Amino acid sequence: MTGYYMRLAFKSFRRNPGLTALMVGAIALGIAVCVMTMTVFHAMSGNPIWWKGDRLYAVTMDNWDPNDVYDHQHPALAPPMMTYKDSKFLAQSNIPERKVIMYKVNSIVTGGTAEKRPHHVISRATSADFFAMFDIPFEYGSGWVAAADEGPEPVIVISHKENQILFGGGNSVGRNILWNNTQFRIIGVLKEWSPQPKFYDLNNGPFDVPEDAYVPIGWGPSLQLLSAGSSNCWKPEPLDSFEEFMNSDCVWIEMWVELPDAKSRERFQNFMDGYWSDQHAAGRFPRARRNQLTPVGQWLIDQGVVENDNRVLVGLSFAFLAVCLINTVGLLLAKFLNGAAITGVRRALGASRRQVFHQHLVEVGVLASIGAVLGLILSAVGLGLVHALYASARFGEPGGFQELTHFDTASVIWAVILAIVATLVAGLYPAWRIGRLPPAVYLKSQ
Amino acid sequence: MVAVRPILSALLRNRTGAVLVAIQIAIALAVLVNAVYIVKQRVDRIGRPTGMDTNNILVVSSSGFTRDYDTVGAIRNDLEYIRGVRGVIAATAINSVPLSSAGSARTVSNHPSDNPSDGENGQYIEVDEQGIDALGLRLVAGRNFRAEEIQPPVDKSSTSRFESKIIVTKAIADSLYPGQNAVGKPVFDILKHPATIIGVVERMQAAWPDYTHIDSVFLLPRLPFSYYGAMYYIVRAQPGQRDAVARTLEEHLSASNPNRIIDWIRPLQSFKDRSYGTDKNMEYFLVTVTSVLVAISMLGIFGLATFNVSTRTKQIGTRRAIGARRGDILRYFMVENAMITSTGIAIGCALALGVGYYLSLQYKLPRLDLYYLVGGIPVLWTIGQLAVWQPARKASAVSPSVATRTV
Repeated sequence: MTGYYMRLAFKSFRRNPGLTALMVGAIALGIAVCVMTMTVFHAMSGNPIWWKGDRLYAVTMDNWDPNDVYDHQHPALAPPMMTYKDSKFLAQSNIPERKVIMYKVNSIVTGGTAEKRPHHVISRATSADFFAMFDIPFEYGSGWVAAADEGPEPVIVISHKENQILFGGGNSVGRNILWNNTQFRIIGVLKEWSPQPKFYDLNNGPFDVPEDAYVPIGWGPSLQLLSAGSSNCWKPEPLDSFEEFMNSDCVWIEMWVELPDAKSRERFQNFMDGYWSDQHAAGRFPRARRNQLTPVGQWLIDQGVVENDNRVLVGLSFAFLAVCLINTVGLLLAKFLNGAAITGVRRALGASRRQVFHQHLVEVGVLASIGAVLGLILSAVGLGLVHALYASARFGEPGGFQELTHFDTASVIWAVILAIVATLVAGLYPAWRIGRLPPAVYLKSQ
Repeated sequence: MVAVRPILSALLRNRTGAVLVAIQIAIALAVLVNAVYIVKQRVDRIGRPTGMDTNNILVVSSSGFTRDYDTVGAIRNDLEYIRGVRGVIAATAINSVPLSSAGSARTVSNHPSDNPSDGENGQYIEVDEQGIDALGLRLVAGRNFRAEEIQPPVDKSSTSRFESKIIVTKAIADSLYPGQNAVGKPVFDILKHPATIIGVVERMQAAWPDYTHIDSVFLLPRLPFSYYGAMYYIVRAQPGQRDAVARTLEEHLSASNPNRIIDWIRPLQSFKDRSYGTDKNMEYFLVTVTSVLVAISMLGIFGLATFNVSTRTKQIGTRRAIGARRGDILRYFMVENAMITSTGIAIGCALALGVGYYLSLQYKLPRLDLYYLVGGIPVLWTIGQLAVWQPARKASAVSPSVATRTV
């Protein structure tokens, strides 16, 4: 029966091609705009490591100025980064299953077989657990062991992209490269990996891409590398040597721990609190105690990854869709009632109210589906345009909002959902109205 | 005079279509008014004066990478070359790229204070004696740095060094010394190092669009320290020469020193564009969606009216036959639309205010300015009338003879 109704639907479209085009166009535009904003919103509000949502915790402590809060918008939060000395101390604990302290550093890399020229590489000085903790996939080799952090051993892990640049993508494990003028041995090459948002370091733009080289954290002090990410200081203290900087109350370290259960979480919290009390007694931590263990999901919310602008745009796009659908309801109603004479004949010949309702709903469904397909194409084009806009604003470098503007499965799913919504919202009332018409009146007027 | 009552009673007899149009108008008004208001704020934000000659400035990024790279020597050689290039007005070395959302800030106070948040927070920029000219800043009091006052870069053993002479923006001068001439007055950093204000520039925008002290910048007379590997040159070209200068510099600088890499040479404007990218995108999106929304509403009204006219041809013909003039028919549809639109606008005003209030509450946007609402009403009203004009004309053209024919 549905097949027959679909044929009727196409017949009906042909009767009023202009009107049909207007309705399909309105639905398509409404769906396109919603798919675009929802695709971005979905990418933005996702938790890229959801399967470890109850195990990974960002570690923060409030060491800030007694007279001034770190973030005026969120006075209850500790600074999102740690001091070197506090993170170093907490990282000695054996309570967490895994732990990592790290920061972003600049580097110049020379070597490789494909690319001989020295070039800039954004790197990360991090601890051994980094790779296992965040489930980072390796293409070749592996990460380093904890002992390499302290030495520190001259071992380096490079990204898929950097391996392409340096070695044309071959297995480069065991090769040497110059990293900031020091010889390093490649022990691992990552597969392509780019979690969005970049939950483990949101300080330099939440949609940044991961670094292209990773070295043991001990190289930070050993080569006296300052953070290439943000580093913030509040205390009037001289910082005239790297040692003074390391011992300062400046924050620039990201710290994460993996705590498998509530018991270990509690134990680590107590450990932090104990450390805080000792330091507080010694005159540090002048503000109220905020020793925070924040799971990834909450972390993304606390750090304001989803911007208000995007919420406004989602609201706007649904208002837009509403207008498009209301538009369609009005047009459909007029159209159906105009065809009442035909419907009257069908009713007189024995079609039930339900069948008439069914027939008209199918017609709207077909309309909405065509609209959804068109809308999907439009949204793919639209996202492509936005992507190009953002990419050009970043000089073609990766990272930023362009990472969120990929047309993906989420887009398709949203289009399907919206097509169903459109059918129901736009079609139910007109189809119901036409089904309730008394057939006799319309037969008479013939 | 048009009789409103028959139109109204006809409308009430067949409400649904009218209600749907009114709702569309209401939503369109609410969206239009709030969108225009948000866009206006973004345009203002992007349009805040930078104080710099943004359009004619190039930024060069240079990274020395050998172990004992001679930063000072490289800067001297590079600047000597750059300043000699045809079309260059002035050039300076600088520690961070203006307007790029990256840079460092410090707090300065008008008295030595133990409280680190006491005073005025500002971005600090390291420049030489051509800094003011290279950035295109306007000196409004005091004097510029002299060549012999330019200090060597700080290094890892003297990071907290302050300089004895500084130039501040008017915003800092007014904050530290309100109502006074700041030139010659002392300032102190948080370690209580003193300095003297030797000059005041009218304005220089700090690097971060959301910074609360957007015009608070102070200039220090010293060469930049390439902490993070890279340092920059600011090169101001004569109007129209920017891109030609960029090509010349690119060729020469890349080859001139094997111990460093020239990462890029880019117009300063591109950094501003990137910093304000989300604002710009919000503008594009809001303008596009709102225009399409208004267009769709208009098309919807037009489509519905056209449809109604074609189904009512016989009634219109009958009215014409019993004495209605063309103008009466035309006016009937125009007035009908005006009534529906006005109802929609009334609902839309409430909706617009509600949405505006919600946005201000939830997203800390400023409260909707009522002028925008007042401005939006005639726009929507006109749109309604325009949309119905053509179908109404068509209706008025229906011949009275239609009434005499059978369907």
